Amino acid sequence: MLDLTTIIAGIGDAFTLTNLIYILLGVMLGQIVGAIPGLSILMALAIAIPLTYSLDTLTAISFLISINKGGTVGGAVPSILLNTPGTPESAATALDGYPMAKKGQGGKAMKYSLYYSVFGDISSDIVLITVSVPLAAVALKMGPIEITALMILAFTVISGLVGASLIKGLMSVALGFLLASVGIDPALGSARFTFGYIELLDGMPLAAMAVGMLAVTEIFLRFSEFATAPRGSNLDRAQSFEPGEQSVTFKEVWANRFVALRAFAIGTVIGAIPGLGSTTAGFLSYSISKQAAKDPESFGTGDPRGIAASEAANSAVVGANLIPLLTLGIPGNIAAALLVSAFIIHGVQPGPLLFERQGQLIYGLFGAMLVANFANLLVGQFGMRFWSMVVSAPARVVYSGALLLCVTGMYFAGGGVFGLVIMLGSAVVGYIMRLTGFSTIAFIVAFVLTPQLERSINQTILLSDGDPMELLQHPIAIVLLLASVCAVYFLGPWKKKDPGVAGA
Amino acid sequence: MHMKQIFGPPLAMAGALLAASAASAQECPEGYPSGPVEFVVAYAAGGGTDAIARTLAAEIEESQGWTVPVSNKPGAGGGVMMTGLLGAKPDGLTVGVGSTNTVTLDPYANQGMPFTWESFDYPATAMSVTFGLVALEDAPYDTLEEFIEYAREKGKATISTSAMALEIAVERIGEHYGVNLVPIPGNGASDALQSALGGHVDATIQGSQHIQQIEAGKMKQLSTLVEERVSYAPDTKTTFESGVNVTAGAYVLVVLPKGVDPAIQSCLETVFAEAIESDAYNTLMENLDAVPANLGKDKTLEFIKKQAAEYQDAFAKRGN
Repeated sequence: MLDLTTIIAGIGDAFTLTNLIYILLGVMLGQIVGAIPGLSILMALAIAIPLTYSLDTLTAISFLISINKGGTVGGAVPSILLNTPGTPESAATALDGYPMAKKGQGGKAMKYSLYYSVFGDISSDIVLITVSVPLAAVALKMGPIEITALMILAFTVISGLVGASLIKGLMSVALGFLLASVGIDPALGSARFTFGYIELLDGMPLAAMAVGMLAVTEIFLRFSEFATAPRGSNLDRAQSFEPGEQSVTFKEVWANRFVALRAFAIGTVIGAIPGLGSTTAGFLSYSISKQAAKDPESFGTGDPRGIAASEAANSAVVGANLIPLLTLGIPGNIAAALLVSAFIIHGVQPGPLLFERQGQLIYGLFGAMLVANFANLLVGQFGMRFWSMVVSAPARVVYSGALLLCVTGMYFAGGGVFGLVIMLGSAVVGYIMRLTGFSTIAFIVAFVLTPQLERSINQTILLSDGDPMELLQHPIAIVLLLASVCAVYFLGPWKKKDPGVAGA
Repeated sequence: MHMKQIFGPPLAMAGALLAASAASAQECPEGYPSGPVEFVVAYAAGGGTDAIARTLAAEIEESQGWTVPVSNKPGAGGGVMMTGLLGAKPDGLTVGVGSTNTVTLDPYANQGMPFTWESFDYPATAMSVTFGLVALEDAPYDTLEEFIEYAREKGKATISTSAMALEIAVERIGEHYGVNLVPIPGNGASDALQSALGGHVDATIQGSQHIQQIEAGKMKQLSTLVEERVSYAPDTKTTFESGVNVTAGAYVLVVLPKGVDPAIQSCLETVFAEAIESDAYNTLMENLDAVPANLGKDKTLEFIKKQAAEYQDAFAKRGN
């Protein structure tokens, strides 16, 4: 274990003026990029890495991690105010955030989102700082067989998102399965459904599909409203704010402490297992909270618990994702992999020796992460006013501007014309789905989860020679599979206790 | 990204460097380059190959006084960049930076690839990826031979991998010994490493992430899958030494479209060779736990030709 002086010296390093400025800059950049649909945080990180070559190692890493943290807060803004999530992980926030904004409580929804997001972030950072080593050891026990069981559980739990009609929901999920199978077959290595386009060998690009299906679809729906609205109807502002209904008291935040705690726990566990991610965490947490609630029908109508469940979970992933990276040297997702290259370029080798060799740097990073959380809170407070002003502009301008940003952002960040075609194609499909009552959310969640499920099923079959008795040696997998059976039994449509979140 | 230059080295150095560049500049034909020489990286910004390309670009800008912008065309394991290069003007102003696997393996793995290894010229390689077969420190085998014995007794052994080339290597080693070695394809090197660290597979093949694990005493190298032994596991035999004619070597590769003026090609060969020997590049290699490896034009072609034939053969046997 490290001695206290290293820890204190490390944390002290985080508090130099340069570091604080870069943390603040990183958080601002992250929140802005996160809030613009079409721009992704990964893109921002990739562009920022070469900019940090000449910086001091700690400053560089703090800057990058601040961008990542800012992004999770910023991503909720367009979901709440315009129902146009810029990333799939903030899509669950839109389910309750947007209805709340429609009631004129956009500011309140943004505050809830900010507070729960920062709560999830700080808590998972504390877990990272204190118990990352044992947690990483547990996460390593999650092999292909356990991950397969976990993905099956995830699919059963998110059944709460399929919408009013089970059949239509399942059809959306099936479409998600189908499109997720485009690309290289993980078992054989041969190309599937690529029709000769080598760009499709990597599969359908998630960012382009998610922005198209979630954000651009919403924009199209608005455009059709503008076109058919009678003259003089109330379409002048994108979002209006009822005066006196925007504040959030501590009591209101405290009321949802259990939902937020559970969301943080889900986000931390999902984050600590390499390969899963914040989208999975956000939706899992939302579904579980909804189905565990006494009054699930109030979810989807502007319930702060929905915001808490989604935001605390997807933000908790950011800190937890560093657990496998710092303790084992395994990056848990693409953002963590980008941090690895930043570490390496600065001559720091992530791996099991990291704490021993670079203890002071790592505690400096921990200090910077905690500072970044407070910077997030501060910048978020100012940001809210700014975004409120933006969406007070005429709706026609706001939604047209959002479309312009989606298109230009996707062109630059998502592989040019190819990304654009996928985005607009998904938007058209999403538009038809929404008009006919198919859930685009169920589609996206299935699309996100399927590649991991397919890959781990393939690994499981190879490891076990297809012998089901092999399962007996994997108690964690058995527990997860039993939980899936319970989930189907207790949460299935035959309980018929809620109208669902149709077409969300 | 030109922004990097804002933070770049002080201008004062430029004068001294201009003088130093004279030697290699004479190798380049008059009037070349007539504009910026663009490096197109086959992988996303922020990764290892990207860092290599950017470091070389900065070095060449300094020593030659050229303008070298770097862009990224990721996708299809480097295939998107290579396909773009097919249509590029062969004026020596577009230079690809990718991996040998993209030209030696991918055209045989996927019928749809519009190129083969013969579609390009290769003035240099920049780095060798030294793949190793590694297992947990407490595994009951220390060498390839003992591992094979273990597999024979148990009926099979599983090895997590992160690329088609490595799956083929696993299958070929198994074939050589007549034992059942099963490659478990993971979602990238990290995923494969995680399966091995968690004890879910018997071993893994890794290109770089295992080095830190070996240093920390968590893993041991059973066999080295390139021609020569590696410095981080000097006592581990190579596959050749074990009598197995299987390697999984790969290089970071410099690629030119076919048809570039031979004079420009030899100019670029010299310029890259100098940049790869530079201090800045060697520092980067140290940080990456790697060694610079430039085969030069002829040997690169020889390597690619040989490996492509091996993979073509392997895929013909697999029947896909």
